[in-house]
Amino acid sequence: MSKVRILIGILGLDQHEVGAIAVARMLRDAGMEVIYAGCFQTPEKLTRSTIQEDVDVLGISCHSWEYLHYLPELMTRLKAEGADAAVVVGGSVLTAGDAHALQELGVAATFGPGSTPPEMIATIRELGARRASRLAETLA
Amino acid sequence: MGERLSRSGIAVRDYYESKPGSDAVEPPGQYPYTRGRRATVPEAAGWIQRELSGEADPERSNAQIKYLISNHQLGIDVIGDAATMGMLDPDHPLAAGAVGTQGVSLCCKDDYLTLFRELPLAELSISSSVPSLFALTGLYIAARAMGVAPAHLRGSVLQAPLYAEDCGYAMHMPVELRVRISADVMQFCAGEMPKFHSFVEDTYFFCESGLNAVEEMALGFVEIRYLARELLRRGVPIDGFAPRIALLVDCSMDFFEEIAKVRAARRLFARMMREDFGAQDPRSWSVVISAHTSGLALTAQQPSNNIVRGTLQAMAMVLGGVQALEISAFDEAYRTPSRASHLVALRTQQIIELESGAGRVVDPLGGSHYVEALTDELEGRITAMIRDVEARGSALELAGQGWFRKFFRNAMERYHQQLSRDELRMVGVNVHRVPAEEDTLLREAVEGKLSPCVERVDRIRAFKAERDGARVRDALRAVLAAAQRPEDNLVPPVIAATEADCTMGEIAGTLRQAYHWPYDPHGFLPALVEG
Repeated sequence: MSKVRILIGILGLDQHEVGAIAVARMLRDAGMEVIYAGCFQTPEKLTRSTIQEDVDVLGISCHSWEYLHYLPELMTRLKAEGADAAVVVGGSVLTAGDAHALQELGVAATFGPGSTPPEMIATIRELGARRASRLAETLA
Repeated sequence: MGERLSRSGIAVRDYYESKPGSDAVEPPGQYPYTRGRRATVPEAAGWIQRELSGEADPERSNAQIKYLISNHQLGIDVIGDAATMGMLDPDHPLAAGAVGTQGVSLCCKDDYLTLFRELPLAELSISSSVPSLFALTGLYIAARAMGVAPAHLRGSVLQAPLYAEDCGYAMHMPVELRVRISADVMQFCAGEMPKFHSFVEDTYFFCESGLNAVEEMALGFVEIRYLARELLRRGVPIDGFAPRIALLVDCSMDFFEEIAKVRAARRLFARMMREDFGAQDPRSWSVVISAHTSGLALTAQQPSNNIVRGTLQAMAMVLGGVQALEISAFDEAYRTPSRASHLVALRTQQIIELESGAGRVVDPLGGSHYVEALTDELEGRITAMIRDVEARGSALELAGQGWFRKFFRNAMERYHQQLSRDELRMVGVNVHRVPAEEDTLLREAVEGKLSPCVERVDRIRAFKAERDGARVRDALRAVLAAAQRPEDNLVPPVIAATEADCTMGEIAGTLRQAYHWPYDPHGFLPALVEG
């Protein structure tokens, strides 16, 4: 089985990197290939990197509320560019209401403050495997 | 059973006794001020009770301040939104999603006038967590416009030139410029605003990376020592600025260690000023300490528990004897404080003051074998760490090399490991959890959040289009020229530029430009004047 590739970034002026770095390390330790894009991302930049890096999953870390502002644009751009990576959003400020709104936008999974590492790893692995099998079907 | 350790790793015994041969600690109000700055209990509340505020535009933040004052808040502390804290204007392309969501959006003269409108500036203590150069500029301009002499202003600005770039809000300025700004602000205030605390060493924000009490205070003192030497190098006598230095400390959940930290910090400051810097004026020895309860200690799970956390931390700070206090609001794990959570935090302070009697005497825990032993132990460990850091080289060089950044990163990682390995217990997080569907108390309060203030972006764009462009460029050229002359103080040209309708983002960009850094750190905007 090939390694799951995930790109992790933080949108706008949100500079709380603690969570993003901790999650990046956790996923790497779980055997994934993690590309850490860091802070000050825009939907445009993340869309470009998602395609260039050919990742299975795009992970958005959030500790402010800017994801609510940027996610609609990000989802539209990814779709328009034909990027098929699954989008996951995680962060300590994510409430149940936010999770619902994000799923409506087409976000594949959300991780709030109560999410555990095994749960996050399993979900991201599953999303990565789904993309791999879609790709295999297309090529078959 | 294994060793029992405090948060900062001090092994504690089962119980404490007086040290053989040790005398009682000196009374409060006397060098080295371990027990307090003064020997008498003040008639009014013993500390300035305030909450960190600021939301949306200056108009709404002004109303928010009035609301807090109407509920008997005793001072003001304003924080900016993410753009303001990073010295960017609200119309910056990266700012749109964050305008006014985490604090107030400020960038021009009119904003400062609106923020302080109708507030009794001469009577209130006005503190600000906005970058010091602009916090000072805004307050100075507003005071003059309202007919209050700047010399009468009380309050403070935060300074953290060595660490500001490494955690929290990066300003994207070289450390030399950050140090200069801090020193210029201090020197300007030493002359013009003698009652104002122009240098609050803010250990709170970097401590929130997961530092312990020893690391927090050691790095705080390293920075104070560095800036004091810089001011002395400029020829300002130590007693000319030392009384205007204050501390803003973090208060974590380790109750007795936090009390001891405040006491140890007072003693360390007094000894440093008298013995290391030769200060003669007793006001230079007895430092003012303000405290902010830890945001890191708050949990998204069972948010009502955060009220208890805030109460315990605030109690520790009152027993330790601080001069100002802010309690992180119970919904802050999720959002910028709501009206309701602000009020709970303020009421908590008022209950401690008026009902608990905790502030009835000075230093009520003085002489406690345990608290005195912890105070001594912390003093020793903090001193050792200051020596260790200073032995590594100049603090400016360490900052330039990213040594502090690495230190904060490691602390963050250590903190998360402590949590995930259950070495650090957090109720509702790694112990005594409840299922999400049962975690409903105060849930509706944390679901509400502020939307970005989009109309403000349009308003600032319109303001920029309408102002006198030639006047703006002239004023920015003067800022650039002053910044290129190391002997100039940056405060007067920045005040003049703000009076000439230049914005915070433009002035900050021009300062970066003078130091050969990009005008816009994010590469979207061109400079307004030629470097």
